[in-house]
Amino acid sequence: MLVRSIPKRRTLARLVRASRGAGLVVATLLFVPVALGQDAAAWLQRAAGAARSLNYVGTIVYQHGSRVETSRLVHLFDANGEFEKLTNLDGPAREVVRNNDQVRCYYPDAKIVRIEPRSFRNAFPSLLPQQLSALATYYFFRKAEIARIAGLETQAFVFEPKDGLRYGHKFWADLTSGLLLKARLLNEKNEAVEQFAFTDIQIGARLEREMIRPPFIFLPPDWQVRESPPGEVTPQETGWMARDLPPGFAKVVEGFRVLRGKPAPVAHLVFSDGLVAVSVFIEPTPSSPQPVGLSQQGGINVYSRQLDDHLVTVLGEAPGATVRQIAYSVGHR
Amino acid sequence: MVMGKLQAVPGELQAAGTMDTKAEAISLLVDGELEHERVEHACSSLREPGCIRTWVCYHVIGDALRGVATMPAGFAARFSEHLAAEPTVLAPTRARPTPTAVAWAAAATIAAVSVVGWVALTTMPGGDVGPAIAAAKQAATIRAADARPRVDNEYLLVHQEYSPTTAIQGVRPYLRAVAASEPDARP
Repeated sequence: MLVRSIPKRRTLARLVRASRGAGLVVATLLFVPVALGQDAAAWLQRAAGAARSLNYVGTIVYQHGSRVETSRLVHLFDANGEFEKLTNLDGPAREVVRNNDQVRCYYPDAKIVRIEPRSFRNAFPSLLPQQLSALATYYFFRKAEIARIAGLETQAFVFEPKDGLRYGHKFWADLTSGLLLKARLLNEKNEAVEQFAFTDIQIGARLEREMIRPPFIFLPPDWQVRESPPGEVTPQETGWMARDLPPGFAKVVEGFRVLRGKPAPVAHLVFSDGLVAVSVFIEPTPSSPQPVGLSQQGGINVYSRQLDDHLVTVLGEAPGATVRQIAYSVGHR
Repeated sequence: MVMGKLQAVPGELQAAGTMDTKAEAISLLVDGELEHERVEHACSSLREPGCIRTWVCYHVIGDALRGVATMPAGFAARFSEHLAAEPTVLAPTRARPTPTAVAWAAAATIAAVSVVGWVALTTMPGGDVGPAIAAAKQAATIRAADARPRVDNEYLLVHQEYSPTTAIQGVRPYLRAVAASEPDARP
């Protein structure tokens, strides 16, 4: 309520009043979003295509809050598909190995491997028309400076939210290939919430398959395997809905999921404005008490609340107030 | 509900689900966003003392944040009374607060104290704001202990799959779930 009732609506009302006298302005505005949306989508699609189909190896610095971590990333694309390996260089070792649709996370200190048998959805190449116009309706899109990142010339482009309900995004794309070399998430004060940046990269490098191999071919016997149940969500109505989504967010998927550690299937609804996604999970109240409220992990905000005999968890690359607003609007259809 | 203390009248709305629903209906009513058919029911619930206090509380906080100062007489006294009557421990204890939790805690305390201090200052001509501020500090400290519930990694990983950021950055966003410096990023 706190957030919803602050001046947002008044400002909007003022804007609407101001534009009433200017039919021409309104008419122009109707055309601009689609064109801008296509321009923005073209950049995003080029970046997605480059991320998928190029071979590259480099060092990534991941910053979130006051923390900084460095990782090595190798990406290989060939006739057998897409392979990726991410190895962190500081702190306890972690390795994320992707073999097409399957992602394995290795935690050598805990001797645990997590297997996530899920598909990578290439969301941008198939942006819904509704999301395409949402991009330009809810974000100002502009090309920014030419900047040098990891020794390469990049074009910076910015998505600045028009309301306080989403984060801002700044991307730096390699001029030659379109690959994103840096991505930054910004809060309403224009402060970085999270940033991924290459500090060195070789694009189009000749890669050996050795470089994307998991750390073990046969897992040592003392390692634990934590495998998520094979998990295509079957699209179906869950009986739940979110009544108060920020404008421009459209439902991407709805269904039940079987998740590791959850005794009953969990209802999962995903909404997207074309640039980010927000997930809503509804599970029967777990037997052990769960903390509720807001928390944050990198650029992801999470809000949990109790709703009668269910626990509602909303998370996504959106401000805390937004995930909270969505969490409070979840109810039976 | 721990984080929700400033949004709901403390104490009274914590326990029962029905109170929670009522508070939500009042919130929507205050914002003029309640469905038509629920308005009458929400209005009649305002006869209950708990609900009318929620109604007043929402208005005062909304007005304070918008910078509109129209407080009912004696509001601050009642507000501080409610804060003081807060149950002491609402949250399960966390073994060690993380630096982020401490930062959140500081922010929460400052926010709560300044809102209450401001409300008290503008509504109490005598300027006796001490008790209200003390109560707010206490309430904020309790809330801060649980300001950062553990992130469910299962949910984070499932979400990643649908996030458009994964499409343009590949496996990079998985760093969120495995970040070695994140206390929650455990297997």
